[in-house]
This record gives sequence, structure tokens and C-alpha cells, in this order.
Amino acid sequence: MKCIGCGGEIGLTDEFCPHCGRKITETAGFRADLKGYQEKSEKTKKGLAKTLSENVPMLISVVVMVVLLIGLGIASYINEEAYHFRSDALRKEAKKNYETYSVEIQKYLDAGDYTGFAAFKENHNIAEWEEPYDDLRLLWEINEEYTSLVANVESVVMFGPEARWYRPEMEVEYCQDAIRDFYHEYEYRQDEIENDTYAAYIHDMKREADAILKVYLGLDDEEREAFLESSDIEQRAYLEEVLIHETEEN
Amino acid sequence: MKQKKTKKPILIIANIINVILAIAFLVVGVQAIEELKFTYVEKDTIRPDSLRSYLERENYGTVATLSHPIRGGYQPAEEDLDYFLLGEYADLLFLKEVFAETGKSQTAQDCEARISEIRAQIPEYAPIFDKIDLSAKNAIPE
Repeated sequence: MKCIGCGGEIGLTDEFCPHCGRKITETAGFRADLKGYQEKSEKTKKGLAKTLSENVPMLISVVVMVVLLIGLGIASYINEEAYHFRSDALRKEAKKNYETYSVEIQKYLDAGDYTGFAAFKENHNIAEWEEPYDDLRLLWEINEEYTSLVANVESVVMFGPEARWYRPEMEVEYCQDAIRDFYHEYEYRQDEIENDTYAAYIHDMKREADAILKVYLGLDDEEREAFLESSDIEQRAYLEEVLIHETEEN
Repeated sequence: MKQKKTKKPILIIANIINVILAIAFLVVGVQAIEELKFTYVEKDTIRPDSLRSYLERENYGTVATLSHPIRGGYQPAEEDLDYFLLGEYADLLFLKEVFAETGKSQTAQDCEARISEIRAQIPEYAPIFDKIDLSAKNAIPE
């Protein structure tokens, strides 16, 4: 913009011409508007600062709430998944100790202590379904049935002189199921067993099962075969006769 | 003005919610830390209360069954150790006959040795050991 007095260059908000000193009246409107805007801007800034300061506690409260909600969510997730975290860590530890554990497992197997083997495996979280223990899978599956047979027979034959046996029929039934399940599993998986690395131990486990039936249930080889082929009712009747009758006599 | 009036109660409610959330966070957080603590040998698979109860009922076979973990490296708490040893004793008496029957004389001898060791370890349970011995004897039909 040019001064109408001297023709020199002037600014839009200049009150006097910087070249001739003439009072510039043409831009008085702009200057007044600018002042008004500046005052408004100041007011807005102050208002904003006031609003902000008034809302700081609320803002902090909301931030704290969000942080707490996230923390609570994470803690709940850990609680929910803790079992899996633990299992994973324990399985990793079992993998790490493979060499040591393998030696221990072999000792149990060589001794024919298959319930000890089961307890060792359980206590050390050995996962037979994944490497490096997966070669134990079949042995373990048959061993589960064997351990159940041992536990169920043990539970129905060893009583003190003043024992209280609350549900003999039911426990005899469990015992019958455990015997049947072991022999069924052993027969049903013969092909797999024959091709398994631990076949010799599985057959030995069966020999121990036979011995349990012979020693504690009075079934020699022939009688055992006859027992396994007999009907459900006949099997139950035999076990009740041997177990409940014997206990009552004692 | 109206906004100002509503802000204060909202802030109070928010603070109350925060206190509740903080308490919940503390409780759940402590639980989570507890949950993550573990040992590499499982210690909580057997409830010793069951063992005591079966011992009182003289069901030594079930005591033996519940004590199986001890033969696989399970380490019971000090106060429960005796119960587990009694169970192990019964378990070995049962298994000894099986090992003998299958011709595993060395394993049967190892069982014998461990049986004597347990008897010597907790001699105060002699009357119970005698009852377990009798139960093992009676378990074999004549």
C-alpha cells in the first residue's frame, strides 16, 4: 500500500507514514478491527487456560481410570492363563533336562517299576505328545491303563483289621473296569506295540498285570483268560466273591 | 454454570470408581503374581487330607495309591511327609509281591530295602506299620 502524501510504501496497520510522517486515516478501520481481534484472542486464551485448569483433575482421573482398567485386564488375563504359562514353563524345563530325565526313566523301566515311571513323568511334566519325549507315547498310554489297574486293585485288597469300606460294590466295579480297560488296550493295540521302541517294556507291563491278577485275585493264566472272556455279571460276581467276601472274613 | 455444577459430582464418582478399580487391581495383581509362582516339580497334586482320612479308615491300598507321586520325585511338605511315607510303605509291600512273581528279584530286594528304611525313618508309626503288614498279608487270597 502506498502513502497518498509521499507515495512511499506503508503497512496496513501503520498509524503514521514512515517516510513523510503523515497520519494515515485510511486504515483506521483495519487497526480498530485488529485491536478488537487481539482483545478477543486474549480473552479466548485466558478462557481456555481456565477451562483447562478446571478440567485437569477430571483429566487425571480419566487417565488413572484407563491405566487401572488396562492393568486390571492384564492381571485378569494372567490369572486366567497362569495354568498354561506354568505348564509351558514346566514342559520347557522337562525338555531342557531331557538327558537327565531319560536316564531316570530308563532306571524305572529297567527295574520294571512302571508306577514309579508314571509318577516320575507326572511330577516332571513330561509331555509324551511332543519331542523329544514322543517316542514314549504308546508306552505312556498303555502305562496309564496299567497304573489305573494297580491303583484300583490296591484300593480293594489292602485293608486294616478295623477298616471301614463304605462303597465296596462301587469300588469293585471300578476295579473290574480298570482290569478290562488295561487288557482291552493291550490287545487292541497289538500291531502298534509290536512296532514300538518300548515293546519289550509294554509286554513286561502286561506280565506284571498278569501277576497282580494271580497274586491278589487268585487268577492263574487259564483262569485269567476265562475271566476276561466271561460276561460283565460273571466278572463282577467273581470279584465281589473274592474281594468283599475276603474283607468281611478278615 | 450448569456444566460446573455437574462436573464436581462426576469427578467424585470417577474418583470412587478409581479407588474401587485400584483395590480390584491390587487383589487381582497379587493373585496373578501368586499364580505365576511355581516349582519345577509339582507339589499340589495330592491333598494330604485325603491321605489322613484313608489312613484313619485303614484303607491302606488307597493310601498307597495316593502316595504314588512320592516314588516319582514328589517332595511333600514336611508336615505331610509321614503320611506319604506310610503310603509308600504300603505301595512297596503290594508291588514287592508282583516283582517277586515276575522274577524281578533285584527290584523286589530294592523294595525290601526301602521298606526297612521307611520303618527305621519313622519308628513311632510301628503300630500302623504292623497293621499295613497284616493288610498286605491278608490281601493275598489263600
